[in-house]
Amino acid sequence: MSERLVVVGGGMAAVRLVEELTARSYDGSMTVLADEQQAPYNRILLSAVLEGTHGVDAITLRPASWFDAHGVELRLGARVLDVDRERREVMLVDGTRIGFDRLVLATGSIPTLPPIRGLVRMDGSLHPKVHAFRSLADCRGLDAAAAPGARAVVVGGGLLGLQVARALAVRGLHTEVVEGAEHLLASQLGEPGGRVLARDLRRLGTSVYTGARVVRMTEAGVRLDNGYELSADLIVLTAGGRPSTALARRAGLMVRRGVVVDSDLRSVTDDRVHAIGDCAEHRRRVTGFVPPAWEQAGVLASVLCGGAERYDGSRSVARLRATDLEVAVLGDPEHAAGEVVEMTNPIAGSHRRLVVEGGVIVAAALVGDLSRVGLITQLYDRGTVLGPDEPGQLLLGEPAAAPVALPDEAEVCACAGVTAGTIRGCSSFDACREGTRATTGCGGCESVVRRLLDEAEPASLSRA
Amino acid sequence: MTATHCPYCSLQCGMRVTRRGPAVPEIGEWAEFPVNRGALCRKGWSAAGLYAGRERLTTPLLRDRATGELTPVGWDEALDTIADRLSALRAERGPDAVGVFGGGGLTNEKAYQLGKLARVALGTSQIDYNGRWCMSSAATAGTRAFGLDRGLPFPLADIEQADVVVLVGSNLAETMPPAARHLDALRERGGQVVVIDPRRTATADRADVFVQPVPGFDLALALGVLHLLVAGGLVDESYVADRTSGWADVRDSVGAWWPERVERVTGVPAPEVRALAALLGGAERVVVLTARGAEQHATGSDTVLAWINVALALGMCGTPGAGYGCLTGQGNGQGGREHGQKADQLPGYRMIDDPVAREHVASVWGVPADSLPGKGRSAYEMLDALGTDDGPSALLVFGSNIVVSAPNATRVTARLEALDLLVVADVVLSETAAIADVVLPVTQWAEETGTMTNLEGRVILRQRAVSPPAGVRSDLDVISGLATRLGSPVPFATDPEEVFSELGRASAGGKADYAGITYARIRDEAGVFWPCPSPGHAGTPRMFLDSFAHPDGRARFHVVEHRGPAEVPDADYPVHLTTGRVLAQYQSGAQTRRVRELPDSGPFVELHPMLAGRIGAVDGAPVSVTTRRGSMTASARVVTTIRPDTVFVPFHWVGANRLTNDALDPASRMPEFKVCAAAVTA
Repeated sequence: MSERLVVVGGGMAAVRLVEELTARSYDGSMTVLADEQQAPYNRILLSAVLEGTHGVDAITLRPASWFDAHGVELRLGARVLDVDRERREVMLVDGTRIGFDRLVLATGSIPTLPPIRGLVRMDGSLHPKVHAFRSLADCRGLDAAAAPGARAVVVGGGLLGLQVARALAVRGLHTEVVEGAEHLLASQLGEPGGRVLARDLRRLGTSVYTGARVVRMTEAGVRLDNGYELSADLIVLTAGGRPSTALARRAGLMVRRGVVVDSDLRSVTDDRVHAIGDCAEHRRRVTGFVPPAWEQAGVLASVLCGGAERYDGSRSVARLRATDLEVAVLGDPEHAAGEVVEMTNPIAGSHRRLVVEGGVIVAAALVGDLSRVGLITQLYDRGTVLGPDEPGQLLLGEPAAAPVALPDEAEVCACAGVTAGTIRGCSSFDACREGTRATTGCGGCESVVRRLLDEAEPASLSRA
Repeated sequence: MTATHCPYCSLQCGMRVTRRGPAVPEIGEWAEFPVNRGALCRKGWSAAGLYAGRERLTTPLLRDRATGELTPVGWDEALDTIADRLSALRAERGPDAVGVFGGGGLTNEKAYQLGKLARVALGTSQIDYNGRWCMSSAATAGTRAFGLDRGLPFPLADIEQADVVVLVGSNLAETMPPAARHLDALRERGGQVVVIDPRRTATADRADVFVQPVPGFDLALALGVLHLLVAGGLVDESYVADRTSGWADVRDSVGAWWPERVERVTGVPAPEVRALAALLGGAERVVVLTARGAEQHATGSDTVLAWINVALALGMCGTPGAGYGCLTGQGNGQGGREHGQKADQLPGYRMIDDPVAREHVASVWGVPADSLPGKGRSAYEMLDALGTDDGPSALLVFGSNIVVSAPNATRVTARLEALDLLVVADVVLSETAAIADVVLPVTQWAEETGTMTNLEGRVILRQRAVSPPAGVRSDLDVISGLATRLGSPVPFATDPEEVFSELGRASAGGKADYAGITYARIRDEAGVFWPCPSPGHAGTPRMFLDSFAHPDGRARFHVVEHRGPAEVPDADYPVHLTTGRVLAQYQSGAQTRRVRELPDSGPFVELHPMLAGRIGAVDGAPVSVTTRRGSMTASARVVTTIRPDTVFVPFHWVGANRLTNDALDPASRMPEFKVCAAAVTA
């Protein structure tokens, strides 16, 4: 009998694993246990759906029919209660038992509930004004509640919090952000970057309270630990998440922050169990981003198909996806070892920091001005060794080309190979055209030729 | 004064040639020809310089076995020697011991006769041509998406009617300058031009939007654009429902290509991806044009399909003033791929493994269908097999300078040198002719008459305007002379018009149907667009208006995945190398480098000041570029117009293609000319 592979989780890591296994013609059977009712979707675009830039249809990763077509059993709404490692069975809450030869935990993370009095009611449900923001169901709930003109408080000033805050503001809600740390994006950015970001947000009409915690629900909204009361029609919890490890713990697998895995993405406790994505901990790191989860899925597919690839950590790039807020964080710019090249321009609202070790960009933070993000990301991902002046040049941006007077030897008509001096020597445009054939090719130089002939002063051309 | 066409690129600009004195023509304007309306670039204006050189071959040359030198011989001796040695090799090793290598610059008549020579007189399956390295990825993609490949399914001037024209990997302002006039006309109307290129080229300078991805990642950019079109509800759903199939799978396949992911993969900032998608999604008529920058990759055909998916989702293909097209490169790149010099095809764009097609063509040729060989190796694969145990040991080359233009050229040159017999028919002693055993001097351009099919699918007539030098013969004469000596069961015509008429019959009923086209019609109608199945048919300037060429009449979406280039930078080879053209040169330069009026600066290495500073390079001083396959040294051109992680080398001179990667596209067999990993040192 061929190997029975069971994947717990139907999120982005799980789907990528199945795609990679399918592409590699994995010869075992595959079962995916997804606890949501929805076919797998692109979770990181939920804030875009909320903002309205993405339709819900556009975030489907793979429809149920795709799994059918590839012979993969997809069970939606399948919540796993326990894993029996002795009998190699997974038990669902409905009592179903599913046997496995290999188990992959891709259970993701769960939102952290901040300690706010009145947040959770006696029956365990959230206060009706309160919304989590993790699943499509959460997104739909918030979408329905987000009436223009309503007042929203977003609890948490991390990437997700800022995306949700911008989405709500774009939709016309009066939005405020409360962040417990001293500045926004505290796990990614230093204080100068966080400050630039807060200014941007305020300029966009969103109030920001840093170094403040929501401590209790009130009649009108919420109360902060500094005594402020913010009136609110809805409260969104985006105060981070933690790896979802309850199942692994109960099954007796080694768990620190996440399920501890080796370079085969294999539990150090049980070689028939693997973990990938937000729930996995590799070399004492949990990631919480999609690109590392996908890299892990690719490596695990290789491992399961007998390939030689091994996981050696990921280079992460975190990007804020929100209209009019520009943030990119490469690696860990606050903690990475190396020389720091940094430029903050609070006047223009930009902050850029490169951490360079041995000529290689090992981490970076870009806030406000992302004009070089494409290049910096390439240099970071490829580990390019830069010269000593390059980090500074990267932060300065392209200088604007100064207009230059055309010297006589400058080629004006590339098609016919005619210089400015030759053109200046012609009596008229038509004579120039006939005598030199300038302007008779692509025609792009016609205005310059006319200027050279009509104007007594040296003509200028802005092209460097 | 003779109305004819330029000797170079696929635009095939109309020009008038007047003979002044013995055999020296003068070039003049042919303002009525609609493609270029009288405009020419300096290559066209200086084309008469092709006649001024003293390097013209006028006698066959045979390599003397004793001295190793090429020695002049008479035509009979040259052709007899070739035929004797080919016959001996065939007797010893079978018909596939002989290979034939053609070119996209050959007239339709020559391309047709070359295919017939291979299949009928030599009986070999081993025939392919340098067009495989030109637009084959677009041809493969066009065939898969539309059921038929015609580079542009509409006249070039139609792009003036679009609201947005997207050029993916095309530098047409330098490679076919008069075409840029259509972009200017479009912009005067208020339309916008988008250029996607790792270099800010002369074409990018006249664009409204310039996007600068890492070379080799155009496919991911297209996936990202399509993702945003879906996200924003900008897909033309009724068009998709009425005229296409396969959309649902493609729609779902781009769900994972959000702009920030595209940014990380392509090096294009996410806001630029968003702006591009918004521009395309908001335009009524969009034209997407690909060229070599998108196509010459190991993922070239998928990259083209990804952009076709964008054009289809927007409802543009088969819509007036909109659609997708490929800007073919070589003079007869279009016609050259239709009439049988491709390893897998027979005249009329028929597939060689289709029994009905074999029967039809064989009946025109007057031979039994089962005598025709099957499918042979693609261009690079054939060259790679030369002189090996199961590869050809003799090669006939017409209209191609392989030593300069093949990828991984050092290896290819070694394969050519391993042959028992290399025969090259050319105008001058090209780098490839220089290592041949037999060199045959042939006529060129205005010395001969023949049809070409330009990038629009317009069949045009190049007419003889001057007499060829004494001693040279047409390729048609050479082919016929060889066929006779090889004991061909059927005769080979040598009069171009007669060959064209036979070609018309052979193509009749095929996809590229020329049956209704005559020289007289071409003269009268400023060219005739194929398909033109009968004398009364007007030709087909615009295709797909009512239906696509698949049996169900629908265009097909294809799911394509991003794979990236075959070689990416690493610690030893830390930058991307890309290759391309300069305005004053054409292809391997065998013609243009010999025209005195055209500046021959030699190769150069274009690099950004940041990279120059890193390696200590100085503008004008030599730098070396090294890849896993070879190395070259040329002077540095330090420019801010290229990505700092990329260097550029033009390929018209020996050197660039010693560096390029021979990784092949699995479908089109296109080599990855446009990107590999390189090290640069000062």
